[in-house]
Amino acid sequence: MKRVLIVDDAAFMRMAIKNILVKHDFEVIDEAENGLVGLNKYKDLKPDLVTMDITMPEMTGLQSLKEIIAYDSNAKVVMVSAMGQEPMVMEAIQSGAKSFIVKPFKEDHVIKTLNNILNLS
Amino acid sequence: MSDQYSNEPLMEMFLFETSQLLEQLEQNILSSEKESGFSEDSINEIFRIMHTIKGSSAMMLFDNIAKLAHSIEDLFFFIRKEKPEQIDLTVLSDLVLEGVDFIKTEVEKIKGSSPADGNAENLVVTIKNLLTELKRMNAAPAAAFTPIPSGDYAYKALIHFEEGCEMENIRAYTIIHNLKELSKEIYYIPEDIIDSDESINVIRKNGFQIYLKTDRDYRKMHEFFMQTIFLKDMELLQLEDTEFAQYNKPEITPEENLTKLSIGKEVSQVEKPVRTDQLEKEPTTTNTTQSIISVGVVKLDKLMDLVGEMVIAEAMVIQNPDLKGLQLSNFTKAANQLNKITSEIQDIVMSIRMVPLSATFIKMHRIVRDMCKKLDKDVHLEIIGEETEVDKNIIEHISDPLMHLVRNSVDHGIENTQERLEKGKSKSGTITLEAKNAGSDVLIIVRDDGKGLNKEKILKKARENNLLFKNEEDMTDKEIYNLILLPGFSTKEKVTEFSGRGVGMDVVTKNIEAVGGTLSVDSVAEKGTVITLKIPLTLAIIDGMNIKVGKSRYTIPTISIKESFRPKETEIIYDPDGNEMIMVRGECYAIRRLHELYKLKTNITKFSEGIIIMVEQDEKTVCVFADELLGQQQVVVKALPHYIQSFKRIRGLAGCTLLGDGSISLILDVARMFNR
Repeated sequence: MKRVLIVDDAAFMRMAIKNILVKHDFEVIDEAENGLVGLNKYKDLKPDLVTMDITMPEMTGLQSLKEIIAYDSNAKVVMVSAMGQEPMVMEAIQSGAKSFIVKPFKEDHVIKTLNNILNLS
Repeated sequence: MSDQYSNEPLMEMFLFETSQLLEQLEQNILSSEKESGFSEDSINEIFRIMHTIKGSSAMMLFDNIAKLAHSIEDLFFFIRKEKPEQIDLTVLSDLVLEGVDFIKTEVEKIKGSSPADGNAENLVVTIKNLLTELKRMNAAPAAAFTPIPSGDYAYKALIHFEEGCEMENIRAYTIIHNLKELSKEIYYIPEDIIDSDESINVIRKNGFQIYLKTDRDYRKMHEFFMQTIFLKDMELLQLEDTEFAQYNKPEITPEENLTKLSIGKEVSQVEKPVRTDQLEKEPTTTNTTQSIISVGVVKLDKLMDLVGEMVIAEAMVIQNPDLKGLQLSNFTKAANQLNKITSEIQDIVMSIRMVPLSATFIKMHRIVRDMCKKLDKDVHLEIIGEETEVDKNIIEHISDPLMHLVRNSVDHGIENTQERLEKGKSKSGTITLEAKNAGSDVLIIVRDDGKGLNKEKILKKARENNLLFKNEEDMTDKEIYNLILLPGFSTKEKVTEFSGRGVGMDVVTKNIEAVGGTLSVDSVAEKGTVITLKIPLTLAIIDGMNIKVGKSRYTIPTISIKESFRPKETEIIYDPDGNEMIMVRGECYAIRRLHELYKLKTNITKFSEGIIIMVEQDEKTVCVFADELLGQQQVVVKALPHYIQSFKRIRGLAGCTLLGDGSISLILDVARMFNR
């Protein structure tokens, strides 16, 4: 089972993502409510995959992503973005995010995206 | 995706979180208003909150909420980025608050499982207009963004990416995205770069074709395309308008459904990360293990019910009639232990349900603000003791009455600025909202320094409405003031938007009484009015003294019993109307016979055979005559069944409870029993 860390400031979103992941045999090993906590949990837990919200207090998803990539250049981070955040998604992609999903997301899109990333060696 | 998200916990989470965020937002706006400016933090917070609400509500398919939240998010995105100077704070906060209200209403609708069908279209348009206006006014001339070009030249570009660079579609997308700044007419092949992984292969095989119109000349456009990362080769052709027209297919807006993309192995430009000092302070804010969980109120209510049942069951076991007359020392020991544990559980469950009044109090800021604006008054709201805790169910019941009281104070109590200055008062009025514990009750005091109540007016009104229950001359000031609490009383001739909508103080009284609370009014002319709500800490379980009258059992809350005694017949005195009274330590108290009040058959009518219980509630003391005391017990207060309540309102009953032997006991509300 692939271990996933969910980083999002909205408990609702975390729950929504978690519901989908659990249904598809991912293991959600932890959740974080902002980029900073996410970064530290990444270091602690070394998840196989991170879903990262972009707009968060304390530390944004972009910043957190950059720090995570700096710490582990092989980190697999998927941005969770909303419509209108394309520039940030672009920046995220350029900064090392492997992919992104767009809110409101569909179950199969999430799963496809994540599987796609995990299938890369 | 309609039903994949319709599961209940998710919905609950949505409602819970959204409500919380809205509160936070409201507070943010109000405090920003006080400081007469939005700080960077608060702008960020507003932006974030709206962003979150937009995301969640879109997910739950509440498009109207999402749309509104999106527009506010956009507005604050602009403000955050551009920091415009010419910005009307009041307009801005009014708009956001209006938005908050709209979303709140929708959330309430959803909670009540009715469709969230509100239409915020007008508000969205207003917000968008404001944004446009802001953009126009704050456009810095130097940095002014080139207006979208009219499209003088038409081009065709064919782009091939380097092999193995991966993610061709997102790269293609990046180009399109950047092109938007230069051109408003763009078509490209393959069209489905975002939606289909197939497009990657098409781009690999045939390249990525773009048709566009722009006012940039060939050299500039060439330069633009050459900047593309991982570009293998690029052909750029200038087209005639006619040639361009044949590619005139409906424009695709990639932003709308950016959903899938393929994954890149390599990362093209990993930005050299800068270690921020945020990281160095990491131990302070990190790895907070979750120490708080949220639990549905329904579950808590259920738990409370169960504990109540357990208390009853415990009484049924320990006071079981079968045990009468038996000497069971081990049983008694065990029973005591059980009793100790159950009362501890009770305390804990109670404390879980206790919620501080702060949320309710803080809401009042908004009400005062809105009213001050409309009525052009200057009122300062002071809050004291908002950390006082009250049972959650009670909070729900007092929120509306409290709102009404605060409204009354602003509307009727506090004078307008000019009047205040003429009277030599401070320019702005003060309303104080105070909460404190007093025994098993909580006192909530609403105090204003306005003009106070008008005694003559109240008396006149009371006379007109036939509300006087004793001689005017005999009435104390306090009694006169409390007349306003009676049903059908309202002195304000003019009905204003905020108060005096026909529902007067009697509705407030009724609401407070519904949770077993009381209300009293005091006032000093020209100094202000004080309204005191006294509400019980909790409704559910009380210590009660069980008494018997004839075959009926009653329970009196132990906290209101002062003493009980058996008087001699000779101690009874009579007032001129023949009412029985008794003198105790120099004070005279009225005696009420329960068997007469409730028309019960009993053999015990002599004071020397029965017992008198002296009960004090709301600073009134009466002596109640009953047959005998049965003993003290914790009782679970159950509301009277609905059909009894609606059939006939029986005075003086607070509810009922089950006794240890399974019989029903009625809980007496002594204060109300003898009120007229």
